Amino acid sequence: MRYCKTCQIHYDTDLIHCIFCNGELEIPENDQTSYKFKPITKKRHLGFFFRLFVFLNFISIFLSLTIDYLTGTPISWSLVVSSTNVYVIAALFILLYPSFWASKFTKMMVATILVVILIGLSIRDVSWAIDYVFPFAAMSVSLVLTALIVSNRKRWFEYFPPLFISILVGLLPGLFILLKIAQVHWPSLVSFIYSAVTLLGVIFLPSKSSREEFKRRFHI
Amino acid sequence: MRKEKYWFKLDNAGKIFPAVSKDNRSNVFRLSFYLDETIDSTILEQAVNKTIPRFEAFAVQLKNGFFWNYFSENHRYFKVEEEPDQLCKYFRSIKNSGYLFKVYYLKNKVTLEMFHAITDGAGALHFLKSIVFQYFKLRGFQLQHDNLILGELPASKKESEDNFVSNYDKNNKIRLKEEKAYHFSGETFKHNWVFFYKIRLDSKQLIALVKEKYQATITQYITALLAFSIYQETVDFRGHKKPLKAFIPVNLRPYFDSVTLRNFSLYIKTSFSSEREWTFEEMLEITKESFKEQLIKEQLHGRINALVGFEKNWLIRMLPLVLKTIAFKIGYNLLGSSINSISLSNLGIVSLPEDLQAKVLDADFVNAGYGVAATLISLKGQTNLILTSPLKDISIMNFLTQTLIKEGLKVVVDTNYKEGYDEIL
Repeated sequence: MRYCKTCQIHYDTDLIHCIFCNGELEIPENDQTSYKFKPITKKRHLGFFFRLFVFLNFISIFLSLTIDYLTGTPISWSLVVSSTNVYVIAALFILLYPSFWASKFTKMMVATILVVILIGLSIRDVSWAIDYVFPFAAMSVSLVLTALIVSNRKRWFEYFPPLFISILVGLLPGLFILLKIAQVHWPSLVSFIYSAVTLLGVIFLPSKSSREEFKRRFHI
Repeated sequence: MRKEKYWFKLDNAGKIFPAVSKDNRSNVFRLSFYLDETIDSTILEQAVNKTIPRFEAFAVQLKNGFFWNYFSENHRYFKVEEEPDQLCKYFRSIKNSGYLFKVYYLKNKVTLEMFHAITDGAGALHFLKSIVFQYFKLRGFQLQHDNLILGELPASKKESEDNFVSNYDKNNKIRLKEEKAYHFSGETFKHNWVFFYKIRLDSKQLIALVKEKYQATITQYITALLAFSIYQETVDFRGHKKPLKAFIPVNLRPYFDSVTLRNFSLYIKTSFSSEREWTFEEMLEITKESFKEQLIKEQLHGRINALVGFEKNWLIRMLPLVLKTIAFKIGYNLLGSSINSISLSNLGIVSLPEDLQAKVLDADFVNAGYGVAATLISLKGQTNLILTSPLKDISIMNFLTQTLIKEGLKVVVDTNYKEGYDEIL
């Protein structure tokens, strides 16, 4: 074992200098000490590039809003740019954060619907987003998840939370009709009916194991 | 028989960890065994996969419910990995086949790193012992388990029981109030790297010293010594308004006749004011008194009841998980991380079957947290005091080591620090 005369410490590792006094260690001839950990190597700072990306997007938001404001006309195009910037940051977070892919898919759907509505609001014409994009996007996600559940019944519970969220989102167009936000009613109505049917299916069709899954997910 | 479907609620101690864990606060602890041969990773992987089904409490994955997280069965194949260069590294279970523990190998070392939401040191030790025993069996050795290897004994439903809840008595709560504690400051290592410093001591020598000279236990002595080292070596502690507080986790199983493998520990604490002068003897006396006052079953029970009572509050229960997570994060950042200065966790003596004694050379128990985290583990007449810290200042370790040497103990140290690391870290 290696030894530091000054500190009177025996070292069971292959250091050459004492970590406290930096004095040279005495190394015996039959020294068999070894380093018992994996040596560290220089790491790349990916975090910096990520922060830079977020920073540049915020600069873009700030500059476009300022320029649009200085032109004297009501702010419009800069809101489109800003919405897109926020969407890009959110999408990057969703894609990079390790999670189940069905969950990523659902989160991306929600983010996309939101940005489309924001763009619609920015150009003062939100009807196409509310009337068509929202209901069809919600329905497509529910449809994809339902297909996945049917084709992979053994692991259906993996898709349960994203399906539940997409059902809730899909029911919202019904509310838009009631609140007279939607101008074209049939896509919203189709989305509402489709989501309601899926919800009833989730509640009444499943077997004992599905009810067990329900119990787990909603235990208080 | 192997169950296909099962699930558990998270226990009281584990509920907060999924919400507050991150790269620099992993809430992962490590247990390592150094074997008498280089590890064969293929056999180790087989051993782990043979052992997992016996330990239902660990064969789980973390799932999000609407109101709470929960553990759901996990039957996926487990892959062992080479030990990384970072201790107690934060890992995402989704990248680990859903499992909440890692098994690493490096030369002759087998390491189990466990996420604290699932179990504490005592539970993890049973698991590691069983893995290593299975490993040698698969290597072709004929070993007797001497009833010391849980993996070789019949499983009991009691092993998966939440003993915080089963011992809950709503009529016997004590008030929990914590004042903020002194916090270390200083430069930390880069890349969330944690400094590991192991002091190997002869158990007999150490016991003789603490019993005869100080009439204390090893845990009391080391707690006081650590506190005194901080008092001596930290320039900003004296006159600081907040006290130095040492947290010592207590294994509750012996107190409540429990065999659970899930979390079942509570901390007791000892507090040292920063507004007075201290000698080591005074600090030791305070430590002894704190232990005596708090290591009483009724006291511990009262605290369990208070903690479980909080979790049973209807307002908290009805809060959706998304909001609970935010509340946990805010609460932990405001209070949770600031109520202790140091921690000392003593896992005690590792009892191994006679056939395994010669094959396990040494053991590590590592708890990497904020500031200075200390652990104790004893094996084959040796006691390892392991100190970890993300801080670059190691003067506390130096003072503590020199005190032990002055007490006449032979000190052998090991570290994960290497020459040249200053350039990288």
